[in-house]
Amino acid sequence: MSGPSGVGIGWRPEIAGFVAGLPGLRFVEVVAEAVAPAGPLPDGLAELRGRGVDVVPHGVRLSLGGAEPVDPARVAHLAAVAAALDAPLVSEHIAFVRAGGLEAGHLLPLPRSREAVAAVVANVRRTQAELPVPLALEPIAALFDWPDDELDEADFLTEILDATGALLLLDVANVHANARNRGGEPTALLDRLPLERIAYAHVAGGAEHGGFYHDTHTDPVPAAVLDLVRELCQRRRPPALLLERDGHYPPAAELRAELDALAAASGHPAVT
Amino acid sequence: MTPSDTWGIPGPVFLRWYLLLAVVLVIGAIVYRRRMLAGTPVTDHGALGPQQVAYLNGGDQLAVWATLGALRHAGAVGVRPDRRLTTGGPLPAGATPLDQAVHHAASRGLRTRDLAADEWVRRALDELRDGLVRRGLALDQERRRTLRGGALLIGFLLAIGVVRAISGLLNDRPTGWLLLSLFPLGLAFLLLNRVPWRTRAATAALNDMRRRHAWLRPAASPAYATYGATDVALGVALFGTATLWTMDPGFAEQAEIQRQAMGNVGGASSGTSCGGGASTCGGGSSCGGGGGCGGGGCGG
Repeated sequence: MSGPSGVGIGWRPEIAGFVAGLPGLRFVEVVAEAVAPAGPLPDGLAELRGRGVDVVPHGVRLSLGGAEPVDPARVAHLAAVAAALDAPLVSEHIAFVRAGGLEAGHLLPLPRSREAVAAVVANVRRTQAELPVPLALEPIAALFDWPDDELDEADFLTEILDATGALLLLDVANVHANARNRGGEPTALLDRLPLERIAYAHVAGGAEHGGFYHDTHTDPVPAAVLDLVRELCQRRRPPALLLERDGHYPPAAELRAELDALAAASGHPAVT
Repeated sequence: MTPSDTWGIPGPVFLRWYLLLAVVLVIGAIVYRRRMLAGTPVTDHGALGPQQVAYLNGGDQLAVWATLGALRHAGAVGVRPDRRLTTGGPLPAGATPLDQAVHHAASRGLRTRDLAADEWVRRALDELRDGLVRRGLALDQERRRTLRGGALLIGFLLAIGVVRAISGLLNDRPTGWLLLSLFPLGLAFLLLNRVPWRTRAATAALNDMRRRHAWLRPAASPAYATYGATDVALGVALFGTATLWTMDPGFAEQAEIQRQAMGNVGGASSGTSCGGGASTCGGGSSCGGGGGCGGGGCGG
């Protein structure tokens, strides 16, 4: 398998023209739920595929962390999107978005218990069985720890990855956010994660409000997060890093500067 | 020849010559029109600026709106509470004559609806159109008059037929075949009387650009802050003033910019925007009132 490589950006319809204008771009990510695999691909995505740019579907609604089995229809949709995009892999979150039939509308963190590991592993295996490509799992940011956590973050993730053979999608901004909000050294987590399993990394902007760091995806990437990218790449450079921006889009020059900063921090070639 | 023949010409004889003339005229007009409207294909897609695209898509009015969109994005124009335009900053580098004219008009506090009638703006628009005529994309007045002339001849023939049919009916003569032949002739007259302002090459270029710049469709909520002023102008040019309303609703409302959506998805079918006449232009509220699609050139 040759996964995504280099510096990429989250493809959104709002900035499709900007993304299309990046000459060195080799991979993007698209929210899987935004693609209808039966119909024609969104204009910009079809053009990127034509240029040989890898498009990775990124699921947000599968609820792998739910106590109940994943919805087969959602898994089938993710598989169909992967096939339609000829994607090298797909990614989803280790989180739950619904429970007991109620939709949270958010990615919610799991308690880091053995029971949760078992539930996630079962759901990941069900999903992997239907997917035509490898699956990468992304741990989410959380403002709090559950009181009955049996495992720490690194053990929790490693157990899930070991049991399923899944790849890791590491969100560097989340690592920063978790360390900032829950205490601890962000590099300590990096030292204990299986970095060789990283398929690609997410980097996003955020802002501090009320003493907490919020992973907003609508603010510039702070220097601290770029520093953490450097720390990560010194230990083991991920094959690809992706800038996530989901709103409040800045002028093209600023967005290009963020991509350049990411390339410089990671040592990957600039895409602008 | 019986004495009761209308105009002294027997019906079958008249009908034969009438139909022959009609067929010759209609075919001649169609062939001439096809040749006149072919135009010169656009090969270099970067060669057309947003104002040119806007003119081709919606004439003077859309060209002015596209210009206003770019100037607004660059912060060079604003609008006062009394709905008169004003300048908000200097002209951006690389300003076209139309940019300069609209900016100048804004500095004199014109209203949006008076822009196209302003002398400077008028001159810049004429220049814009002349350039497009030279490139085989737009039709000049003379050519459009010639094309209407063909339709006029058919109209004349139609009138003769109508008069003859009425006389025949009054004289109690059979007129069935003549009446029957008047319908297709009338249809041909109506269709040929609609003379577009752009060539088929221009329509093809517009459709192609709409496809290439689908990301500027207002429905995709383009991040105008990320895109440049040129992209905004192109958005207005290809997809109408919905672009302005999406980008800056406050300005669009205060400056009394008509709401208008053009060029539905993809633009694959011919004449999706103004050319189609009824398809997207007819909506009355969206594009009426002599706006971007009016001006008498809305045929396709």
